[in-house]
Amino acid sequence: MASCHEVKEDAKVYEKTDKILLMGNPNVGKSVFFSSMTGINVVSSNFAGTTVSYTEGKFKLGEKTYTLIDVPGTYSMDATSEVEQVAISFMKSNPLAVICVLDATNLERNIKLGLDLLKYDVPIVFALNLLDVAKRHGLEINASLLAQELGAPVIPTVAVNNEGVEELKEELKKVLTQQPQIGCSGCSGCPVACPAMKISDDDEDNWDRAKTITARVRRKTEGKLSFLDKLGNSMLKPWPGIPIAILIIILSLGIIVGGGKALRSVLLLPLVNNMIVPFFKMIIGAIVPEGILYNVLIGEYGIFVIGFEWIIALILPYVFLFYVVFSFLEDSGVLPRLSVLFDNIMRKMGIQGGSMITILMGYGCAVPAIIGSRTATTKKERLIISAVVCFAVPCISQTGALISLFAGYSPILLVLMLLLSLAVMIAVSSILGRVLKGEVDPMVIEVPNLLLPNGKSYRQKLMIRMKHFLVEAEGPMLLSIVIAALLKETGLLDNIAVYLEPIVSGWLGLPKEAVIALILGVVRREMAVAPLLAIEGLTALQAFVGGTVALLYLPCLSVFGILAKEFNAKVAVIIAVSTFVNALFVAGLINQVAHLIM
Amino acid sequence: MKKNKEKKISQNLNSIYQAKDGKEYVITSAPELGLLRSLGIVKDKSIHKRMTYRLGGPVLIMVESSEIAIGKDIAEQILVRG
Repeated sequence: MASCHEVKEDAKVYEKTDKILLMGNPNVGKSVFFSSMTGINVVSSNFAGTTVSYTEGKFKLGEKTYTLIDVPGTYSMDATSEVEQVAISFMKSNPLAVICVLDATNLERNIKLGLDLLKYDVPIVFALNLLDVAKRHGLEINASLLAQELGAPVIPTVAVNNEGVEELKEELKKVLTQQPQIGCSGCSGCPVACPAMKISDDDEDNWDRAKTITARVRRKTEGKLSFLDKLGNSMLKPWPGIPIAILIIILSLGIIVGGGKALRSVLLLPLVNNMIVPFFKMIIGAIVPEGILYNVLIGEYGIFVIGFEWIIALILPYVFLFYVVFSFLEDSGVLPRLSVLFDNIMRKMGIQGGSMITILMGYGCAVPAIIGSRTATTKKERLIISAVVCFAVPCISQTGALISLFAGYSPILLVLMLLLSLAVMIAVSSILGRVLKGEVDPMVIEVPNLLLPNGKSYRQKLMIRMKHFLVEAEGPMLLSIVIAALLKETGLLDNIAVYLEPIVSGWLGLPKEAVIALILGVVRREMAVAPLLAIEGLTALQAFVGGTVALLYLPCLSVFGILAKEFNAKVAVIIAVSTFVNALFVAGLINQVAHLIM
Repeated sequence: MKKNKEKKISQNLNSIYQAKDGKEYVITSAPELGLLRSLGIVKDKSIHKRMTYRLGGPVLIMVESSEIAIGKDIAEQILVRG
């Protein structure tokens, strides 16, 4: 089963002969260089046999076209992690040249990485990035002296503002057209400084050398922190950091929920109900005679009715706005700050602050979150994160559907649902933290500077994500819509409903049409909610119970597939069965208790 | 301090977790961890301690100009002198 966001593997990428690699530390601004150099046709792929993904795009320089590869950020080339191993494989795959982006605010560590890269016999152009931030921190760097020390060109840049990008391209052109220095017999007779020949294999030596070079090229000056720098610092302190964090979360929810509702009611619903559906009704009505086929296609539950209504009006606005907000928080450096602030709470839940980013991603879609849990350093932590996402985190499509479901009732329902989700999250995480064997490593993260994301790279990221969603989620969504239409319009539903009646009507107290939600929820999560929207006269309690089932219900088919792939079939089955039981148990309990009280 | 079982060699030798906020320190010993090493958190490196978060939260330090948060359990194993 193809799943959303699952990326294809490209075994041939190492063999490509027109490769230019973009390398450097994480958060150094590589993707900003990438998006300003490539066009719109960029592809995200996975390295064959690994869990590491990269982005590649075509890049025109003068007359020639090259393949620019955004290699995932690494702090070193020590092969201590999978990402570093991939970076090493890339360096060994005969790239034409390397653009190494250096973080001017952290020169020593970056020069060390630069020295590591110079060991491979590949032409390198260095981009000395984040110079603006370094300057504000009171650091002045002599780029030409650094170029001499490294024996390779160094271009000063401020990538977010596109400063220095043209110069970098010019320099790259020069490097690419230069003849390789064959027959370099040794350094003594060489007129130019050629440190590539002299780089030590000993790690300690290179650290020492990085330290010496840094001391030579860097000068302390008077820095003046900008507003964003100061805000970034404040956000790291519990006061005012935690109130700011809560404000950001509320604001994000407001944009997604409020914006989604507005888009839906003002633009998308009228579009679907007044234009798209009548259009298809007219065409189909002219070809197909009234009857079962007509109903399956364009009846109340017809494929062409709910197909457009659910996908375009119900799901799309929320998915789009979620990624608008999430990508912004990601690129601006807000998320790592949340990780730091909430590490203590996460630690008590048996995981660590860094995993918070992965779990937040699960509010978009569980599949990338489960793939993203690869960044967890131990298997135990991966399992906990994945289980938490499956048990208690609604994906954005589902959230959208839940918001629409609760729209007719008191907003308290939505708040209660949020609290319920948090409670289940804490319970699952705490229980697994105690039950599962193994360790969870403590957090070690670098907090990047707070900044306004670069427009182009932000748009590129948003586009890649929306494209993934549209391509990958459409299949399962259409499948569940076809099933829904067939079940409902052929009368099959009534037959099945008889068997599930005791659970649906007895235990959960829902009308029998809700059966369809339970069946479709297996295929996609929002489909566990969407059919409830079509039932008229639901009480607030019924809506809440139905919402609870959906919230806690088993992960959709794509998630089941990714669990089986990333862990094994056993884990996938255990999670599916236990979420299913848990959902029916909790929702039924709420129904029964509410009836006792009321 | 109870977790810090190693015999203190001198008075000013302590873990970065307990060290006072807002001061410069030199690392005397750090755990052998690939990531710490790549981040430049190694013996003899000077670092600036910003703060320790309450309730078992991490330690925030500055290495050069970059801020790095380190979970309690590792931070307790990074020993520094003032």
